[in-house]
Amino acid sequence: MNTPIKVFFSCLMLFVISCSESNKEMLPIMGRQTFKEVDGKVDTIFHTIPNFQLVDQDSAIITEEVVEGKIYVADFFFGTCPTICPIMKQQMLRVYERFKDQPNFVILSHTIDPDHDTVAYLNEYAKRLGVEDNKVWHFLTGNKEHIYDLGSPEGYMVPVGEDEDAPGGYIHSGAFILLDKDRRVRGFYDGTKAEEVDKLMQDIPKLFAAYGEE
Amino acid sequence: MVKSKMNTYPFLKGFCLLFGLVLLAACQSGTDKTSSTSTSSIQDRLDNKEIKYFSNGKRLYTQYCANCHMEDGEGLGKLIPPLNKADYLLKDVVGAAKIIAHGQQGEIMVNNIQYNQPMPGYSNLNANQIAELLTYISNAWDNAYGPVEVNDVKKALNK
Repeated sequence: MNTPIKVFFSCLMLFVISCSESNKEMLPIMGRQTFKEVDGKVDTIFHTIPNFQLVDQDSAIITEEVVEGKIYVADFFFGTCPTICPIMKQQMLRVYERFKDQPNFVILSHTIDPDHDTVAYLNEYAKRLGVEDNKVWHFLTGNKEHIYDLGSPEGYMVPVGEDEDAPGGYIHSGAFILLDKDRRVRGFYDGTKAEEVDKLMQDIPKLFAAYGEE
Repeated sequence: MVKSKMNTYPFLKGFCLLFGLVLLAACQSGTDKTSSTSTSSIQDRLDNKEIKYFSNGKRLYTQYCANCHMEDGEGLGKLIPPLNKADYLLKDVVGAAKIIAHGQQGEIMVNNIQYNQPMPGYSNLNANQIAELLTYISNAWDNAYGPVEVNDVKKALNK
C-alpha cells in the first residue's frame, strides 16, 4: 500500500475511534424479566420500580408521579454515615451540577435512617451540600419499611438495612441507579468511584437520546 | 524504507493525527480530575523519617478520612469541613490527635464557616499512627506545617 493511502486510512481509523462512542448506543434493561404469552405472541415484562410515597426536604409529598416522563438517578444514604455517604454525595453533586438544567431529569436520594433524617434534618443537609431547592434533587424520608422495600429486589435491587456491627449502624450499597422513563433500571454505578460516575454521566445523555431528547 | 517514505508526508500525517486527537478529546465527555498533591517542597520541611510518616499517613488517610474529608482535603460543602488550609486544624495540629482518637460532636467554626456534623473516633489507632496521619494532613495539599512528633501526640492524647 503506498504511503498517502496508508496515512489516509490511519486518519480514518482515528475519526472512527473518536466518534464510535456515539449516543445511539442502547443501555441494557436490568432486572428479572417475565414473559406473558397471549395468542402465541410473547410480551416481555421488564422489572420496574414499584409505586412509592415519601416526603422530601421541602415537605413535598413525592410519589412515582414526580418521575413520570423523567429519567432519574436514585441512591440510598443516611445523614450521619461515617463511611461512604459523603463521597457518594460529592459524586452525586457532580451529576447534579451537570444535569440540573436538563429538562426531565430528577435525582432521588433515600435516607435509610428516617428516624434521624427528618424533613428538617434533610433540609439542612441539602442546603449545606449546596442544593438550594427541591426542583431536581429530592432527599427523601418516610416510612422505614417502605424505604427498605424500595431498596429490595422488588425495587432498586440494592442492599439496604440495619446492622449493629456496621459503622453508623446501617449497611447500604454505594450504588447510583439509573432509571428510564418507565422506571426500568438501566444501569448501576459505584457512587464512590469518580470513574464510574463519569460513566453514568456519559450514559444519561445516551438514555435521553434514546427518547429523542438532547 | 517505508519509514523514509512516510517521512515525506510529515505535515499531512501530523495534521491528521492532531485532528483525530482533537476529535477524540471532543467526543469524550467531561471527566474532571481532582487536584493532585503537591509534594514538591516536602523534602524541605520533613526529614527521611518524617517523610515515611507522611507516606504512611497518606495510606491511613485514604482508609479512615478520605471518605468524608475527600482525597483533596476539601471536605464536602458546608457538611464536612476541609482539612486543606483549615485554620481549625492548623492552629492546633497536635491537639487534633484527640479528635482522631475520640471523635467530635457539636458545632465548630472552620475558616469562618460553621459545621455541625459528628465525626466518629478511631480508638483502634495508636499514637504512632495518629502522628503519621497528622503529619500527612498538616503537610498535604497546601498545608505546610512541618513535622509532628509522636511524643507530642502521646502527651496530647493523655491530656
